[in-house]
Amino acid sequence: MASGKKQTQQYARQLLELSLVNGAVSLERVAGVLAHLERNRPVNVLGILRAYHRLVAGAVARGQAVVEHAGSIHDQALADIAAAMSRRYGRPITGSARRNNALLAGLRVRVGDDVYESSVAGQLAQLAAAV
Amino acid sequence: MTLPLFLAAAQGAAQPGIVETFGLETKYIIMQVVSFLIVLGVLYKFGIKPVTATMEERNRKIEAGIRHAEEMQAKLAATQAESALIVKQAHGEAERIVDEARKTAKDFLDKQTQEATAKANDLIAKAQQATQLEHRRMLAEARAEVARLVVTTTERVLARKLTDADRAAYNDAATRELTGV
Repeated sequence: MASGKKQTQQYARQLLELSLVNGAVSLERVAGVLAHLERNRPVNVLGILRAYHRLVAGAVARGQAVVEHAGSIHDQALADIAAAMSRRYGRPITGSARRNNALLAGLRVRVGDDVYESSVAGQLAQLAAAV
Repeated sequence: MTLPLFLAAAQGAAQPGIVETFGLETKYIIMQVVSFLIVLGVLYKFGIKPVTATMEERNRKIEAGIRHAEEMQAKLAATQAESALIVKQAHGEAERIVDEARKTAKDFLDKQTQEATAKANDLIAKAQQATQLEHRRMLAEARAEVARLVVTTTERVLARKLTDADRAAYNDAATRELTGV
């Protein structure tokens, strides 16, 4: 059972590697992988698709910087942040803005599991934790 | 008494008068001597000898009784001395046991006192520690509550007071900070 799950994960990982172009998820490659799975259904295709979906979602999240903001943010600032994250992680990262008034003012950038924050809410939270 | 008279009569035989005067005759004298010896022998055998033996026996018994009494007295004295020694030893042993019991009781009392003191100190220390922990916990809770109230109030005030221009300026500063990561 554990060995089958491990094989499923390994197969899903191989499919994910086929879906990447220059470290980023390619829509065309993903479509091709899905078409291949449609034509040649392996055993436990449902588990493989779930693992593949999870890996693709993680890869997309790692290639995307979600910038939460309170107040307005310029497109140039969004582009600068994406460029800075691309330099930091060594792979192309795109930026997407998401409004979050709970921040009061400032930004919170989420890349995959990493979070970078410079906001009034964050500083207030640090203040509360320090007290 | 008879023999001197006989001798005197023999000496005076030359001189008539004494033997004849007293009517002494040799055969009577010899018979009286033999009779005396016979009586003496009978008396010695059946009177003097048994009496002497009886007296010697009684003397031996008396001496044995005296020796026995002396021995008994000596034994009594020895027994009394031994009893006195035993009583003295028992008295000393009793004093030693009493002293030892007192010492043991004192040690036990001291030990119990020390243990009770240690337990009391331990209880006091634990109570003080619990009080301190409770005090710190209350202070931490109060501090956290105050901080939460301050932060909540500040958030509400800032949410009302911050203008779009303020937020834009803060976002620019945040952008510069994050791009410098």
